[in-house]
Amino acid sequence: MKHGSRLTTVLSTLILLLSALASPLIAQERFRRTPPIPEPLPELKIPEIQSTSLWNGLTLWIIQKDNLPIISLKLIVFAGESSSPEGLPGMATLAAHMISRGTSDLSSSQIEEEIDYVGGSFSTSVHPDYALFSFTFLEEHLDRSLDLLSRMLLQPSFLRREIDTIKRNMYYDLVEESSSPDFLAKRQMFRLLFENHPYKKGTFNEEVIKNLTQKDLVPFFYNNYRPNNAHIILTGNLDLETASRKVRRYLQRWQKREMRPALPLSPESNKKIRVCFIDSPKAKDATIYFGNVVIPAANPDIFPLLVMNQVLGGTPNSRLFLNLRESKEYAYQAFSQIEYYKNCSVFFINAKVRPEVVEASIQEILNEIKLITNKKIPTFEIEQAKSYIIGNFPLQIESLADLTSKVAENKALNLGDDYWKRYYENIMLVTSDKVFELSRRIPLLTPVVVVVGDSDIVLNQFGKSIKEVGIFNNKGVYLGTYKFD
Amino acid sequence: MNMNLRLIKTLFILWAFVFLFVGASGIQPQETKKFPFSATLYKLKNGLHVILSEDHSLPIVSVVMAYSVGSMNEQPGKTGLAYLMENLMFQGSENIGRMQHVSIINRVGGELNATTTVDRTVFLERVPSNQLTQVLWLESDRMKSLQINAAKVEKAKQEIIADIRSRKASNPYLESYWRFDQLLYPSFAYSHPVIGDEADLQDLTVQDVKDFYNTYYVPNNAVLSIAGKIDRERALMDIRKYFETIPEGKEIPHVPLSKSPEKMQIHESMESDQVPSPGFHLGYRLAHPSSDDFYVLSLIEYILLRGNTSRLHKRLIKRERLALHMNGSIEKRYPAARFKLFILNNNQFMVQRTQRAIFSELHRLKTSFIPSEELQKSKNMFKMDYVDQYTDSLSRALFLAEEFLFKRILINPSEELLKYLAVTPTDIVGVSNRYFGEDSVILDIEAK
Repeated sequence: MKHGSRLTTVLSTLILLLSALASPLIAQERFRRTPPIPEPLPELKIPEIQSTSLWNGLTLWIIQKDNLPIISLKLIVFAGESSSPEGLPGMATLAAHMISRGTSDLSSSQIEEEIDYVGGSFSTSVHPDYALFSFTFLEEHLDRSLDLLSRMLLQPSFLRREIDTIKRNMYYDLVEESSSPDFLAKRQMFRLLFENHPYKKGTFNEEVIKNLTQKDLVPFFYNNYRPNNAHIILTGNLDLETASRKVRRYLQRWQKREMRPALPLSPESNKKIRVCFIDSPKAKDATIYFGNVVIPAANPDIFPLLVMNQVLGGTPNSRLFLNLRESKEYAYQAFSQIEYYKNCSVFFINAKVRPEVVEASIQEILNEIKLITNKKIPTFEIEQAKSYIIGNFPLQIESLADLTSKVAENKALNLGDDYWKRYYENIMLVTSDKVFELSRRIPLLTPVVVVVGDSDIVLNQFGKSIKEVGIFNNKGVYLGTYKFD
Repeated sequence: MNMNLRLIKTLFILWAFVFLFVGASGIQPQETKKFPFSATLYKLKNGLHVILSEDHSLPIVSVVMAYSVGSMNEQPGKTGLAYLMENLMFQGSENIGRMQHVSIINRVGGELNATTTVDRTVFLERVPSNQLTQVLWLESDRMKSLQINAAKVEKAKQEIIADIRSRKASNPYLESYWRFDQLLYPSFAYSHPVIGDEADLQDLTVQDVKDFYNTYYVPNNAVLSIAGKIDRERALMDIRKYFETIPEGKEIPHVPLSKSPEKMQIHESMESDQVPSPGFHLGYRLAHPSSDDFYVLSLIEYILLRGNTSRLHKRLIKRERLALHMNGSIEKRYPAARFKLFILNNNQFMVQRTQRAIFSELHRLKTSFIPSEELQKSKNMFKMDYVDQYTDSLSRALFLAEEFLFKRILINPSEELLKYLAVTPTDIVGVSNRYFGEDSVILDIEAK
């Protein structure tokens, strides 16, 4: 031992000597040794959003960006999965995908030709609260693009052949997605969190697709696809007057209709920790989703929640990652995030861990949350989280598509102008006390936890702290409960 | 009609190059003005090229550090070096610890990435604009003093070897792609995979890696391209502080490429018991990437195979249902670009029918004028993709850097775009007759 350390001393002296000799050659400038001190962040000028309404109730939002020959259009229709008829989940998804599959005078291939002609791309996504259509095209084809959109909305043909094609695509998409443990775990978590709420319809599996028919599709479409149930957001080189004149020209024939009252109230939070398991034979690692229903984005407490999320699991520098991956070496990754709905948000943590340490990982996640609810987060950590959020925000609205998406999401969630304009300010005002106070009010310690992994390795390790595990198959069907004593 | 007027107008608005002199420093900036964005090119004393493009709409800055090196600079027996170097660039330099680069960018809310191709290795960051000097500090340190040792090299090697194995396992067609490149490209530079060969990687020494770094990761082989909210003068001062003191490297070795003409017909087949369906690769040798024919060929790519309404997609997938899958593109290579197509079929019979259908589509392209509506559609799609290359700060910095490495000038994108949009039906007939002749390269893949 002693001998070894002496040798090290001799060696290091030698190295020092050598480097001293060599130093005139490799000397470096002083400024290279430490990182430069950044200047304060410049002010963010958030693009202005203008709006107007057409007589038929269609709301139009315009963001003027004059340096590109491209227009990005988003259409929101409040016909998300939660509005699918009772017993027919998947209907909202089918309807949304059908609008580009044929009109009274254009076949689905002609629609594809038209979209390509305007240099365009058209895509559809369906959220529990709304359907979102994204259409990007060259600015010189604004008229042609709006004309196409109006045909798709006003004269859809809903041919049986096309319905079958979409149903087949939906089926195979779901089958393919079901091979991903993340997809299965997340869907199961939402299914249990929204157990008694229409939001649950968004978690359908491939078996229900066969129930969707033309007979039910047509009334669903005409009841929900109405101008007074929709918003259009346009970003590009255009002013409010031109934009509203053009939109009016193509969409004023769209008839409004009395809408049914909106969704029921917020879903309730889960009240007692509930652990569930889905078997994925031979899976190399275990996937954990851990979450609960919390306040909606429109609630002003969302800002301390955003900061808390950042401290806990926003990046690889956050607590969960540093603990579960770097320190305990349980996980390949561990992050937290917030997903927004109109009437609530879901705060959740997802981690990919070694299958032998699932229970220990869940325990560690709970410990991290307890720490946040028991002890105020040091100010420097809060400030670091805030500077991340503030620094990152402009990156999320830089491209035309991202900017339009962000505005569309705000409108769809009914967040109001202030959310947009005062976002920076509201983040700046978050303090350690506010985060602490909020963390004690929201139900983080009674989550739904879903684990997807190899049952041979995962299941027999429970029992230390988790005494009961609900078992589900990969279609979300309940199979039974394991009790550990 | 309308379209033409717009183009003429654009021609007037945009515009050529202005040369300025900044005396003492010896920096000769070259500048493009106005629409669709402005940019200035500088050359530092040590040969580093710098491109600055100011845009004050958001407090963001994007930095692209592009080295003119890729797998084409590797010697036989030493493949995989370029990609390995990319990996090592994150493992620490004199003043920056292992992976510290990543955590610093993460902490400030920024994003970063890196890629290695046949002829480029590119490092990029998009960060809040007050972090520019921080990025310059990070990038200059790894250009100046990357710390390479046996342990780091070994770790990177093992990661890449694991990556090669998992790619092979997840894509049973991967080896057919590699074999096809050998048939299509006569010079070694282009005929081996970017990721490298497992046995070559095992044999790489620390000295190999150091030599590669010292040869290619030098200021005179790189371009630093920055777009976003910057003050040009101030940024240039900081860039010179961090980069101009890095010594210039030796002259960059010339890569031997085979000279044209190299035309001949090749038809080979390979058997595999791993692939689920049979299929084939088809290729043609095309024009030099900076020739005038290349503008026409770029549009032919759109007419034949971009999107669901392209000629080949409609015929092979939709109408005649001959193929299960197709993808393809034109690869910019020297002295001649290549047209590449990959198709999967249900059975061997369909393989033959698909090849005949492709030849008949090429024949149609050579013998009849494209309808104007169809040509306009292809141009519109092309224009959208072209413009999309510079819509945000990161894509703009990348676009400027890549175009610079390609043409050694600061290109004016509006002018360049007009050359594509000016292609006529006659050009298409002429150019397709010139390049889509008898000398195709085909590799059939037979499923056992």
